[in-house]
This record gives sequence, C-alpha cells and structure tokens, in this order.
Amino acid sequence: MLKENEANQGEAGIAEDTLLRTIEKFNVEYCLALDEGRLYDWANFFTQDCRYIILSRENFDAGLPVGLVYCEGRPMLEDRATAILETSMFAPRYLRHFVTNTFVHYKEGDEIHSGSNYLLTQVLMDKPNATMHQIGRYVDRFVHEEGVLKLKERQCIYDNLLLENSLVYPV
Amino acid sequence: MGWTLVEGATELPADHGVMAVSISGERVAVFRVQDEYFATGNVCTHQFALLNDGFVEDGCVECPLHQGRFDIRTGKAMGSPVTEDIPTYATKVEDGQLYVDLDRQAELADTQSVALEDKPSADLEKSDGRRFVILGGGQAAACAARGLRDANFTGEIVLIADELELPYERPPLSKDVLLGTASTQEATVLDRQAVETLKIDLRCGLSAVQLNTGTRTITLSDQSTVEYDSVLIATGARPRPLPIPGADLPQVHELRTGEDAISLKRALKRGGQVAIIGGGFIGMEVASAARKLGCEVTLLEAEGRLCARALHPRAARYLHEIAEASGVEVRTGTRVSAIEPHGSVVQLNLADSEPLLADTVVVGIGVVPNCELAEAAGITIRNGILVDRFGRTSANNVFAAGDVATWPGSNNAQLRLESWHNAQEQALSAAKTMAGIETAYDTVPWFWSDQFGHNIQMLGLPTPSDEFYVQPASQDGGEVIYLHDGERLSGVVAFDNTAAIRKARIWVSQRLEVSTLLGFLKTASDSAGDTRVSPENRRKLMNNPAQYYVWPEKGLRRIPDWVYTDPAIYQLEVDKIFHGSTWNYVGLEAEIPEAGDFIRSNVGPTPVVVSRDEDGEINVFLNRCSHRAAEFCRELRGNNKEFVCPYHQWTYDLKGNLSGIPFRRGVGGKGGLPSNFIASDHSPQKLAVTTRGGVIFASFDLNMEPLEDYLGPRITEEFDATFNGRKLKVLGYYRNTLPGNWKLYHENLKDPYHATLLHTFLVSFGLLVAGNEAEMICDETGRHGVMASAKSDAGKVSEEDSKEMRAYNAELKLKAPEMLDFEDEFDSRWSVTMMTLWPNLIVQREMNTLGVRQIVPNGPNEFVMNWTMFGFEGDTDEQQRHRLRQGNLMGPAGFLGMEDNEAMKFVQDGMKHSLAGEHLIEMDPNTEAGTADTLISEAAIRAMYKYWRKELGIG
Ligand SMILES: Cc1cc2nc3c(=O)[nH]c(=O)nc-3n(C[C@H](O)[C@H](O)[C@H](O)COP(=O)(O)OP(=O)(O)OC[C@H]3O[C@@H](n4cnc5c(N)ncnc54)[C@H](O)[C@@H]3O)c2cc1C
Ligand code: FES
Ligand SMILES: [Fe+2]
Repeated sequence: MLKENEANQGEAGIAEDTLLRTIEKFNVEYCLALDEGRLYDWANFFTQDCRYIILSRENFDAGLPVGLVYCEGRPMLEDRATAILETSMFAPRYLRHFVTNTFVHYKEGDEIHSGSNYLLTQVLMDKPNATMHQIGRYVDRFVHEEGVLKLKERQCIYDNLLLENSLVYPV
Repeated sequence: MGWTLVEGATELPADHGVMAVSISGERVAVFRVQDEYFATGNVCTHQFALLNDGFVEDGCVECPLHQGRFDIRTGKAMGSPVTEDIPTYATKVEDGQLYVDLDRQAELADTQSVALEDKPSADLEKSDGRRFVILGGGQAAACAARGLRDANFTGEIVLIADELELPYERPPLSKDVLLGTASTQEATVLDRQAVETLKIDLRCGLSAVQLNTGTRTITLSDQSTVEYDSVLIATGARPRPLPIPGADLPQVHELRTGEDAISLKRALKRGGQVAIIGGGFIGMEVASAARKLGCEVTLLEAEGRLCARALHPRAARYLHEIAEASGVEVRTGTRVSAIEPHGSVVQLNLADSEPLLADTVVVGIGVVPNCELAEAAGITIRNGILVDRFGRTSANNVFAAGDVATWPGSNNAQLRLESWHNAQEQALSAAKTMAGIETAYDTVPWFWSDQFGHNIQMLGLPTPSDEFYVQPASQDGGEVIYLHDGERLSGVVAFDNTAAIRKARIWVSQRLEVSTLLGFLKTASDSAGDTRVSPENRRKLMNNPAQYYVWPEKGLRRIPDWVYTDPAIYQLEVDKIFHGSTWNYVGLEAEIPEAGDFIRSNVGPTPVVVSRDEDGEINVFLNRCSHRAAEFCRELRGNNKEFVCPYHQWTYDLKGNLSGIPFRRGVGGKGGLPSNFIASDHSPQKLAVTTRGGVIFASFDLNMEPLEDYLGPRITEEFDATFNGRKLKVLGYYRNTLPGNWKLYHENLKDPYHATLLHTFLVSFGLLVAGNEAEMICDETGRHGVMASAKSDAGKVSEEDSKEMRAYNAELKLKAPEMLDFEDEFDSRWSVTMMTLWPNLIVQREMNTLGVRQIVPNGPNEFVMNWTMFGFEGDTDEQQRHRLRQGNLMGPAGFLGMEDNEAMKFVQDGMKHSLAGEHLIEMDPNTEAGTADTLISEAAIRAMYKYWRKELGIG
C-alpha cells in the first residue's frame, strides 16, 4: 500500500496531498451543512446526475442494491430535503458527523475514487447520551464541475446493520 | 434502679430526633424535641415493631408497621390500630448528658392534659339511668364499650359475650399466636382492670338468643332477660362451613377463635403435610406460618386467583408469587370434593386431579355474619345487618357494627367489610351516636396482612376492573400499586411500604385525580410493567391469566396498557402465539435456492435455522446446540454441508439431525458418552414448514392447519395477488430495532385512519387521501388484515377533507415525480396493499416497491424488524431501479416508514412515562370488529384484540 502512495517524494505525491486536503475540506463543509440541517445546501454537493445511496454493509458485500436511501440524480436529493423539512414527522434530534481516514484510491479520467470512514452520532432530547447511530465508510466518486469538487456518487456503507428505530437525516 | 446514662442522646437532631437504647434488657426509645427529652417503651403495643423505626411528628411517634400513633410525652395510644398505651420513663439532663429512670414515669408538665389509663372523664357514680347493651365480645364490642365512656355515657353498659375469654383481637391468631411468638392473652383488648374502671357489666359465656325490639328485651342463653334503651349488635362472623363430606374430621381445622388458634398451632408444630382450603388472607397467613414451622404446604383455591374477593388482581398476582417463592404449592382453580380418613392422615379428593394426602387440613373459605338474631327480630339484612353511616339498623335503638354489619359505602354499594379497622372505627361511630354524639363512619377503609415476611396494606375499595399504576420497589420500600378508575384514585396496595400508605391515605380519601397523582409520584418514568417476576413464577402464575388480568368494562373499545408493557403478558404471547398454533414467516425461498443454502431466522424471539437439504426440502429447526445450548449457526446466511457447533463440534446435518459427536466413544476406552446414548433422540427441535408463492413459514405446532385455511379465503386471495407465481429476486435488507410493543406494528397497519393524517407525504402527493377507494380487510378470526387502497390523482383532495388534514399542503411538488409512478403489474384493483399476517409477517406492496417484514419481538417494549425487499426474476434494469427509487417511501429511513417507527416509539414512551391507562379504540362504531369500508375506522384493531384475548384466555 505504502509503495503506491510513496508519499511526499515526487511532484505526483505533492499533487495527491493537495487533492487529499481538498477532499477533506469538502467533507468538512459537507458535514457542516448536514449537522446544521441545511439540506438544500447538502444537495448542492452533488452533480446533477449523481447517485447517493445509504446501504448496509450486509447488502454491499452481497452485491444487493437496496439502500435505506436510494437516490438517482440531484432532484431526488432535493425531494428528500423537501420531504424531511416539509412533510416528515419525527422526534427532534441532533446529529453530528465525524469523518476520518480519508484516502484517494485512484483516478480514472477526471473521476477521483476515494473513501473515508464516518461516524454519525445522534442525540435525542430526552436522553443524556449520544448514540453512535451509524458507523461506516463513504465510497465516493468525485469530479470537478467548473473547478469545484462535486460528488458524482457517494455510497454510505454502514457496519451496524441493526439501525436504531429510524434514520431521519442524510449521512 | 435509678438514673441510667444514655450516651449520644444529646446529639440527636433537635427536631424530633429518636434513638433506641436497651436499659437492663428493656427496649427504650428516646426522643428529642428541641431541648426536651422523652423516653418511652420502644415496642408497639399492637404487634412487634420498634417505634424508633417509625415517624416522629407533632409530638407523636407513628409505628412503622401499621401506623399506630403514641403521644411521646404521655405514652397514650392515639387511635387505630393501637389501643394500649406504651410506658413512659422519667428523663433528666445533667452536665450535658441525658439520664433515664425506668422506675419512674415521665412527669407531665401539664398534668390535666391526658389521662394515662382508662379513666372515664364523666362521673360514673351518677348513672343517667339508661342501659345500653352490647352483644358480642370481640373487637367491635370492646371498642364500642370504650367509645361509650369516651363519649361521656354514664349509664349502664352490659356486654354479652358468648366466648369465655375476655374480649380479644383476632389478627395475631393467624400470625404470632400460630408461630408461638405471642400468647392469646396478649391479644386481649379489654382486660379486667378496664372492665372495672369503665364499669362494664361483662357477662362472658352467655349468648343472646332473642331480640325483641318491641319490648326492648334480649333473652340470653340462660333464659334470663335484659332490657335495653339501645343495643349494639357486634356479633361478628363465623367461619363458613365447608359443605363437603369429611369436613368434620379431627384433622380438619378452622381459625376464628383463640381456641382454634391453639389447637391449630399444636397440629402445625407436628409438621408434615398441610393442605389449606381457601386462598384468602386467612389461608395465606396460615400457609405462611405453616411454612415457617417447617410444614409442607399446598394451598387449594377454587377460584382462578388468590384473594379474589378482597384484592385487586394485580396485587393478588404479587401475593401468589411471594407464596410460591416461599415454597407453598399454590393450586388455583382447584375444588375439593371430599375429605376421607386415610390411616392416621386424611385424603382430599380433588375435582380434576389426583387426591392429596395431608396430616392437617385448614379451611379458610370465608365467613358468614352472625345476623340470625337480628333477622328473627325483623331487622333488614343485606348479607349482614344493614346499617347507615351512623351504625343504625332498620329498628329503632338497634345499632350494629363490625363483621356483622353491612355498610352503605360510597355510592351505596352496600359492603360488609371484614377487617380490624372496620370493626374498630364502625363500632366507635355507632357508640358515639348511641351516646348522643352523631358520628358518621366514613374513613378510608384500610386493611393489612402480614405473610411470608411481607407486610401488605390496602387502602380504599378498588374494584377488579380498575386500572393500575405500579411504582416499583425502591430503597423507600416495596412495590406500590395505585388503582384508579381512569379518572380518580380508588385505592392503594403497598407491599412493605408503610411510608407510601401513610402518604396515600389522604389521597385516597380525596379521591385524587390521576393526573395530580402522577405529579406526586416523582419516579414515575420506569414504572410500566413489572420486571421483577421471575420467569419461572411468571409461568406458573400464567396458568390462569384471566384471573389476574381484567379487561376494562368498555370491552373492545378499550385496550389497557398492560397489554403492551407487562413482561408476563409478553411471556404468555411467546408461549401461546409465537410458539403456539400459528404460521410464522421465516424467509423467502429465493434466499436459499440451492442445497446447503441456509439463513438464520427467528420464530417469535426464538432463533432458528432455515436450510435447504439435498432433497430440495426446506427444514426449520432451533438454532440451539443439543449439547450446551450454544447458538451454533452464527452467519446471517451461507451454504454448507452441515452445521458444526463451534464449542465442542457437535454436528447437525441439513435436516437438523444431530449427526456427529466427537469422542463419542471416549479415548482409549475411557470417557465418552454412555453406550445407550441415541444421537437421533437429541436433535434440535424441528418445526413444521410450509411455503406458498416462494414464502416460507414455520410452526412449533406440528399439526398446523394448511396455510390456506390459516389465512382464510380473503387474505389468501390478496396474498396470491402479490406472490403471483413469478420468481422472487431478493434486492436487499433493512434491519431496525423499534422501541415499542410488537403488536403496535400490526395495529399501525390495521389503522388506516393514521395513514391520511401522519403521512403528509402520501397525502401531499396524492398517494392516499381520505376519499380514496380503500378497504380494511380482515379474515374471519380477526388476526390477519390487508389495508388496501387504489391510487388517485394528486389534487383530488376535496376542500372539506383537506381542512381536516392539517398537514395537507397543496403547494408541494416533487422534482423527480417518477418515483411515485405506478406500473400496474398485478392482477388486483388495489395499487397498495399492506398485509399483516399473524403473528410476525407484513407483506408490503406499495405500488411497485415490494417487501416482506419480519417481526422479532424482544420483550414487551421492543422488537426487531427485518425487511427483505424484493423484485422478480426477469425484471428489466429500469424496472428494478424503479423499485429501488420507490423504496425511498419505506424502511426505517423511508418517508412513510420512518414516521411509523417514530409514532410507535411515541406510543410506547407514552405508556412507559405516564400513568397507566387505556387506549381508546372507538372509530367506526357501526362495525364492531372486522372488515371496514372506510379509512376512518379502527374496527380491524378491535377484531385483532377479540382474537388475541381468546388466544391468551383473557376475559
Ligand atoms: C385469624 C384471623 C386473622 C385476622 N387478621 C386480620 C388482619 O391481619 N387485619 C385485619 O384488618 N383484620 C384481620 N382479621 C379480621 C378481624 O379480626 C375481624 O374483622 C374482626 O375481628 C371483626 O370484629 P367483630 O367484633 O366485628 O367480630 P368478632 O371479632 O367476630 O367478634 C364477635 C364476637 O361475638 C360473639 N358472638 C356471636 N354471636 C353472639 C351472640 N348471639 N351472643 C353473644 N356473643 C356472640 C362471637 O363469639 C365473637 O366473640 C382477622 C380475623 C381472623 C379470624
Ligand atoms: S405493630 Fe404497630 S401498629 Fe401494628
Ligand atoms: Fe403508516
């Protein structure tokens, strides 16, 4: 593994480093939008023809496509934002995302294949503790759109198969 | 003896501090009130209890056991249940130390304040010439005699008592007297000295045989007559005779009098087998004493539950449990038909079981009031002598009190109470009224019993159908059951918790509103259910659940909370429903197409393996190793040739047969299994299996009816519409926990009323509106259901309907509306069907997104939901993606699914955190229970509970 990434040596290494930092920054802003409940902003992190899927590791490993959330195209993300903000009934809660171990896997044309680990905590108003609502990883495909990094695909693959009651907000 | 130093007394808190000391073997309580000190005897004169454990308040100490109160300055007993004063001792403070002198009484600063002994305040030498006669020589009689003098009656008091002893109280007879820790003399309530000072003409050993209310004369058993101005009948009650052959055998005892107690005590001391007939309080207390004395005890109760007459079922369940925990064999629903001599012992013949041998038999099947005398005199009888609140009978100048009297009670329920407190208080009001001070008896009824090391107290007069709210045991004391009629507190039963009774007395007398009560009970949040019942006892209790769970009077239109929160009910459901005669979903054939394929699944909470064997057959068997119970199959799914338990590698074939045991024959001729061990006798339990349309069901009942009959024609038709022969293709899973009772999920899908209101998304985008063509279909039994509707176009919501639906928002539009497209691929008039197949399957056909959901219950308050989403073999890529996109409606993150999960959690939270109550299931009164043709209906929920109650045997 290390060999491939032979860090910091040539120019390629430096470029990769910059890219990594760009993706990390992207994730920070992405999570900020979600943690603050700005769901329409969240949709803007994606390309028009994106795919966004939250699926269990069980399904992912077995090649089964079903996702807790399954969106094809940004309009579906926006519809989800509308549904959550306008129509859905659920108990009030705070969510917080923690993203680590970001890495760039490989580039293919102008697509960047990368990934990270994520941890999603949830706090309900009548309980003192935050629960680890999801633990998983992002499997991403990024592209640049007019110089701005966007997600062409994000799969959120969670390890804790047994979800606690409900998942309200995107991951 | 002189002054004795009491160390540490001056360090007592100044505000009603108390400590216990022993001075020359005497138990002494020392109290401090500011700079004054008082010393008294520390043992309650009622029963054995230490006063320093009680409450000190307003210059009185209240006994921790039954709340008898004593003035700490004078030792005076301040009323029920204590009548005898405690001794007081002189105190002095010198050099900052306290001294007590046991030989000297406390000196009273204010000498005229209280009389120390029974000293009538009126001058008895000047009789007013009237004669009051009291018939009976028990608790009520003695109390009335005292009461008359307290009320300054100066006339003659004649007390006719047919027992030879001085009047005594009965509660110790079944407790300390049987155990030998108290004598019958100690139970005396009117001793010689009191008889003299109170100038009572006590005639023991005589009974009254006739009452003539015209001539106001009473004829006694010695043919003498007594004339009266007023008479109080306090003749009590006698044991109800057991109307079967052999009830008069010498081994058969009853318990009412001191004599009875002594002879029973002798019998119990001999040990052996004791059979107690009657599971009321007396029977239970005798059982408790007999156990303590080392006897084997069987308690036979004809009714389905203990203390059926006197105690709320929920409290009775608790008693049942403590009796069993103390080693009493409790047999409810058991009737004795005869008792026969059998050598030196007796044989009890039972109605439906083997006869029982016993050395001693005790009969405690209730009492009959001694009201013949009154009846013959033409006085009104209602299961006792009917009195008003003042103790007056229908005849002039004739009063009655105690066990013999029937009292109006609240809203004229006409009750005859049989308790110490009732005898005492009722006699007191009657006596005062006789003496000219009209005093009504309307205190809150109060009763106590001591058994199996527990103290049980009950306040008020709850009815068996009352709702209850349980406050679990805490460091303040044992469990407390608050009973209410939905609006107001009707009674309280407390186990080892006198503090709670003390607090609740005023609440019950005010008939506190339940909402206010909740405010008072701080630790309300963890109250639902009772998790402390051990599973073993729970199961025993559950032989006759109907007796311990009483359905609300409103019938199908109400569902009490305990249906959803009680662990014992849950256990019963596992036994009778999931492990009973039901077909349980376990998986899809598409998940195990090949030989050797398997999945882990559950039937109810119980883990099973579903496997396909070499013959292509599907097998379902317990996932529990026959050796040491290990759950041997750990993978969610897979393919293998056999299952090997990881612990000791016992091996099971694909049919679930135990096929291999390592070192079965030992090593080198040593060890191993016994040679006669037959492996095939030890396979994990196998379940019956059936399939339909690619769906696999299993049952613990090997004689299950065919699935088609189980579902009934209407449901089968709808099932086949979804599973129409096309081969299924699994698209993936969701799994979630849901913190609610498992039945709520069924109810949610039998509740079309919610769909139009909770699911704004559905309504906003026209998938379902109150006016849609829809039906809530039930099968004949009420257990299965299909919520079916046909899609209509958005914007069709009439103005009238939309007003009712607060969430309706006509402005909303989807940017990707194709998600909601419906490709009509089924031969059905419905675009949506949500099918609930009892007990654990939901079949979702939400337009083109399809799935099955398996309920795996996990206690009363939580279940796991396993969703398997599917399409069909041969679906085009676009068809499959449409199913997946539409899948955003369902699942724990779905626009609808999430809301249902949240709502059900709210319901369980409501029950857990609030006062116990009932759910109101009133919608659509025209359909009592069953299929409804309107969405605004709860008839399907009613149908389900009609069935559920029948299955569980709950009235
Ligand atoms: C073993 C036992 C344990 C109990 N434990 C409890 C307890 O823990 N808590 C509680 O609250 N209650 C308890 N009770 C109930 C309580 O003792 C009774 O409710 C109470 O004794 C009733 O008092 P009474 O004066 O009305 O009747 P009784 O005590 O029955 O007194 C009536 C008396 O009248 C006599 N009599 C009857 N007919 C005539 C006649 N014609 N002429 C003259 N005399 C007559 C009877 O022989 C009897 O002595 C217990 C009862 C028993 C038997
Ligand atoms: S033992 Fe004290 S009131 Fe009963
Ligand atoms: Fe719903």
